[in-house]
Amino acid sequence: MADGNVQAAGAAASRAGNGALDAPQTVNNSAGNPNQPGTSAAPAAAGSSSSISASGSASGSGSGSSNGNSNQGYYQLSVTIEEASLRNNGFLKPNPYVELLIDSKSKRKTDLVKNSYLPKWNEEFTVLITPNSTLHFKVLDHSSFRKDAMLGERVIQLAHILHHYNGRCEYLELTIDLFVTSKSDNRQTKSGELVAILNGLKLDMSKVVQLQQNGTAVQAVNTAVSDAAAAGRSCMIYGGVRARMRLRSSNAEPPAATRSPQSNGISSEQRRSAAPPVWEQQQQQVAQPQQPLRLANGTAAAVPQTAPYPQQPPAPVPAQQRPLTQAPVYANGPMENGAQGTYMLSGTPDQPACGTGIPVSNGSDPQLQTQPAEDELLPAGWEIRLDQYGRRYYVDHNTRSTYWEKPTPLPPGWEIRKDVRGRVYYVDHNTRKTTWQRPNSERLMHFQHWQGQRAHVVAQGNQRFLYSQQQQQPTAVTAPVTQDDEDALGPLPDGWEKKVQSDNRVYFVNHKNRTTQWEDPRTQGQEVSLINEGPLPPGWEIRYTAAGERFFVDHNTRRTTFEDPRPGAPKGAKGVYGVPRAYERSFRWKLSQFRYLCQSNALPSHIKITVTRQTLFEDSYHQIMRLPAYELRRRLYIIFRGEEGLDYGGVSREWFFLLSHEVLNPMYCLFEYANKNNYSLQINPASYVNPDHLQYFKFIGRFIAMALYHGRFIYSGFTMPFYKRMLNKKLTIKDIETIDPEFYNSLIWVRDNNIDECGLELWFSVDFEVLGQIIHHELKENGEKERVTEENKEEYITLMTEWRMTRGIEQQTKTFLEGFNEVVPLEWLKYFDERELELILCGMQDVDVEDWQRNTIYRHYNRNSKQVVWFWQFVRETDNEKRARLLQFVTGTCRVPVGGFAELMGSNGPQRFCIEKVGKETWLPRSHTCFNRLDLPPYKSYDQLVEKLTFAIEETEGFCQE
Amino acid sequence: MTAPRRLRKELVDLQESSLKSFRDIKADDDNLLRWTGLIVPDNPPYNKGAFRIEINFPAEYPFKPPKISFKTKIYHPNIDEKGQVCLPIISTENWKPATRTDQVVQALIALINDPEPEHPLRAELAEEFLKDKKKFVKNAEDYTRKHSEKRPAD
Repeated sequence: MADGNVQAAGAAASRAGNGALDAPQTVNNSAGNPNQPGTSAAPAAAGSSSSISASGSASGSGSGSSNGNSNQGYYQLSVTIEEASLRNNGFLKPNPYVELLIDSKSKRKTDLVKNSYLPKWNEEFTVLITPNSTLHFKVLDHSSFRKDAMLGERVIQLAHILHHYNGRCEYLELTIDLFVTSKSDNRQTKSGELVAILNGLKLDMSKVVQLQQNGTAVQAVNTAVSDAAAAGRSCMIYGGVRARMRLRSSNAEPPAATRSPQSNGISSEQRRSAAPPVWEQQQQQVAQPQQPLRLANGTAAAVPQTAPYPQQPPAPVPAQQRPLTQAPVYANGPMENGAQGTYMLSGTPDQPACGTGIPVSNGSDPQLQTQPAEDELLPAGWEIRLDQYGRRYYVDHNTRSTYWEKPTPLPPGWEIRKDVRGRVYYVDHNTRKTTWQRPNSERLMHFQHWQGQRAHVVAQGNQRFLYSQQQQQPTAVTAPVTQDDEDALGPLPDGWEKKVQSDNRVYFVNHKNRTTQWEDPRTQGQEVSLINEGPLPPGWEIRYTAAGERFFVDHNTRRTTFEDPRPGAPKGAKGVYGVPRAYERSFRWKLSQFRYLCQSNALPSHIKITVTRQTLFEDSYHQIMRLPAYELRRRLYIIFRGEEGLDYGGVSREWFFLLSHEVLNPMYCLFEYANKNNYSLQINPASYVNPDHLQYFKFIGRFIAMALYHGRFIYSGFTMPFYKRMLNKKLTIKDIETIDPEFYNSLIWVRDNNIDECGLELWFSVDFEVLGQIIHHELKENGEKERVTEENKEEYITLMTEWRMTRGIEQQTKTFLEGFNEVVPLEWLKYFDERELELILCGMQDVDVEDWQRNTIYRHYNRNSKQVVWFWQFVRETDNEKRARLLQFVTGTCRVPVGGFAELMGSNGPQRFCIEKVGKETWLPRSHTCFNRLDLPPYKSYDQLVEKLTFAIEETEGFCQE
Repeated sequence: MTAPRRLRKELVDLQESSLKSFRDIKADDDNLLRWTGLIVPDNPPYNKGAFRIEINFPAEYPFKPPKISFKTKIYHPNIDEKGQVCLPIISTENWKPATRTDQVVQALIALINDPEPEHPLRAELAEEFLKDKKKFVKNAEDYTRKHSEKRPAD
C-alpha cells in the first residue's frame, strides 16, 4: 500500500463498536467556517417557528396588526421581574436594572444589582394594561459617570400571550430573549434572557376577539395551546419569547388540563407531578419549534413532543424554507407583523407573505401523535438499518456516514444546512456560528468548557506580566561576522541577504518580510564564538558611531567614551554575544535582544483593525489576511465596534487575549487540547474537515507572531513539542510523553525489552485513524515487508517518534510557520528555548505559593521531610521567573489553572503536584509532566538542592530527561 | 499494516486453541479491528448462561490497548449497565504491546467467574455481593436466566 494512502475503515458502522467505549466519531471537534453563507443572517431563526404545530392545529388570526388602543377597558396585571442572565462581554460586570414601559409610558424601574451577569430582582409591579398593550422590557447598566447603557431589550405584545393562554395570566412565566442593536450597522444580537412572571389577569377572550378585525378561529387554537400549556410545559409564544404556567398552586390549574392530549398516554397530571425542573422544561420547549421532523424521503412526519429529556428533542427542519423575516427581531413594527405571521398562519391572507415557507404539517399531526414515544426520532436525512447480526445502525445520508450510536438530535437552536456545493453544515443560532461537524453532546461539552473559560479570559489577561519595559532596554551588542565564519556557516536562509554599510559594518536583510538586523540569522541564538567581553557596568550602553566605531555611553554621568569601561579580561565562559554565558542564559537578556530586533524593525504609522465582539474571529481573520504581512508590524489600533475609544494598549491587549481564546474554540476544529490536559494545545489532525483550514493556520501563525512582536500575551499556549517545532528543534521520544503517554509507554517498552520472542508482529509500517478513516504510513520504503527486530529497533523507534509527532499535522504546521515567519522571522526566536517561548507568549503570573504547597502530595517523603522543607524554602525565596520555570519543568506549562493548584490536571484527569523521593543525591531532579510529578533525590543540604534544582530547570534538555 | 497482521495471527491462534469458556470468536467480515465472542463462565451464578462480548482494537494496536464491552446484559459488580468493563490488564498504566488478546480474555473470564467487589464499577452490586451474598447470587441467577444467551451444547 502506498505511503499515506487513505483507506476507509470499512463501513464506519462495522468498526465503531459499542458507543459507550469507543464512539465512532473519534474526533470531537468540528470546524467552523466563517465564510459560510447565512452565518450572520437569521439569528435564532429556529426559535421563531410555530408552536402551533405541536398542538396539532393551525389557525388563528393576526391581532397585532390591528392593535392600538381600540380597547378602552383597563385591567390590572402584576408583573414580577425575577432575574436575567446577561451575556458577558466586557472588562467590568454591569450593574443591571430593569425598566418596564407599558405602551411606551408609565415607566417602572427595579433596583439595580451590582456587578452581576446574573442579576436577581424579584420585584413585583402592578400595572394597568389593555389586551393590546405592549410591554417593553429594558435591561440597563447603571453608571455613575455616563449615560446608562442598554444591555438588552424586548417589546412584548400582550395580545399574543393572551391568545395563547386564553386570556389567563396566572403565574405565567415568561422567558424573554433580550436583544441589543448595534449602532453602526443596526444589527440585533441576543444579549441575554429575562425571566418575568405575569399574574392576576383573567380576561374573557370572547370579548377581546370581537374587537378584532379578523377574528376567526382564534378560539380553537387557544384551547389547544392552553391545554399544552396547562400541562406544565412551556410554549413558544413567538421567536425568543417562551412562556409556561408555574404550577405553584392547585387552584391555578386550568380546567382544560385533563383533556390535554398527551400522545404517549401519560395523563397531564402524571406529567405534571414528574415535571422536570424549570431548566429542563425550557430546554425542551426551545426544541419544540423545530418540528415537524422531515425524513429523508421527504414525508413530513411530525413527532409528538414527548421527549422527557432535553437530550431528545426532534431534529430541526431544513432551514432553507425559512424566510429571513422570521428572525425574532422584535423591535419595530413591520418585523412584529412578520413574527406574528409565524404563528398565526391561516386566515389572514392579507398578512405579509412571510409564513409561507414554514413546513407546518398540521393536518396530519393528530394521527401522527399516536406514534409511540419509543419510536426512533431521527434527524432529517438519517435512516435506520440492520446489519447481518440484526443490530441497528444509523446511516446519515447527508454526510454519507454510518454510526452505531443513535444520532443525538441537534441541540436547541441548531440547524442543518447545505452550502452551494451541496456540503452539509450546521448552524448554531445561539452563537451565530457555523460548523462542519454535527454537534454531539461531547463536542458541546467541550464547547461549553471552552465557553466557560471566557469569563476568566480577560481577568487572566490583566494578571500576566513579563519584565517591565524599563528593564528591557536593548543592549545591542553585536558580533562582527568575519569571512571565515561565513564559509563555515553555509548559505544564508532563503530570502536573506548579507550587506555591508558604507562604514563596512555588516548587516543582514530579510527580503521576505522586509526586516534588517546586525546579527547573522544563521548564528542567532547560538554559541559559535567567544568574544572577550563581559557585561557593562550598570548604566552603561554600547553604541556605534556613524563610521561604525564602537563607543560607550555612561548614562550615570551622561558622558561618552571610546574606552571600554570593563576592567581587564573578564573570566568565565562567554557566549556568542560576548557576555558571560551565565548572563546570556538569563531570560531577561534574551528578551532584550528579541525586543531590540522588534523595535529596530518597527514601521511607522499604524494599522486599524476593527472588529465586532460577536464575530471576532471572522473580522480579525479577514483584516489580518488582507494586509501584507509586514504591515502587521505597524502599531496596532484595535477598535471594538460600538465601543469606540482610544487604543492605548488596553484594547489591543484585550483583543489578543480574546482572539487567542477564540482561535481555540473547539468548534473550529483547528486546535485541540493535547492529552486531556486542559492547558496546552496542539494542531488537530482532523482540521481538514474545514476545507479552508490551511488559510486559518496561516492566519493564526501571523497572529501569534504579532503577539510576540507587539509584546502581548495569548490566553492559552501550545504544547512543548509545538514550541520546539517553532524553534526547529529535533523532537525526541520524550516529547511523545507530553502528548500521548500511552503510545510513549508502549514505545519505551519496545525499547527496553527484548522484542524478538514476544510475537509483537511489528513492521516498518503503521496505521492511525482520523475521523473514522485509517491512514496508513510506511516508515520507510517497503517498510511493510520489513520486520522490526532487536537489531533494527533503534531505527524503528526513531522513525516512529518522528511519525508520531508529525502525523496528520505536517501541512498545518508548515502553513502556521509560514504565516508566523512573514511577520517575525523564525530566526529571531533562536535566543529562546521552548519554555522561554511559552513564557514570552503567555506571560508569567504571580504564583500563589501557599495554594501550591497546600495542594501538593508526597510519595516516599512527607510534608516534614528535610528535602521537602528545603524545596518550599527555595520556592519561596526564588523569583517569579524561576517559579514559572519550575512549574514548566514539572507540569509542562508555566500556567496555573484558573481555580488554582487544586485543579491541576494530568493526562488522566485531576493530578495534584507531587514530589517523590527517587534516586541518590548525585542525581539531578527529574519530572513526569503528564503526572505533574517531580522526582527529587534526597539531597544532603539546602544548597545542594538549590544547585541541582536550578540546573535541572534551566537546562531544557539533557540529564533531567530520559 | 501492523495491527491487521498481528490481529490476523492472534485471531487464528485464539480460534485454534478452542477455549471452553471463550467461543464463537470472529472478526467482522470487513473489519479486522472488531471481534465478537461468547464468554461461557464456569462459576455460579453465571454458569447458567453465556455472554456476548465485543473487542475493539484501535488502529494503533498494539501500541494502544483494545477495548472490551458486553453485548449481553450481566449482573456483575465489575461490569456496568452499558456493558463497560474495567480490566486492569488493558488499562493505560498496565498495557504492554506484548500483551496478547488471549491473555486479555483469560483475565476477563477470571473476573467474571470471581468478581472483584473491591474495584467495583457498580457500587450497589458490590455492596450486595459483600453484605448479602445469597441475595446477590439469586439476583444474578435470575438476571442471567432472563438476559443471557444459551450456552453451547457441548
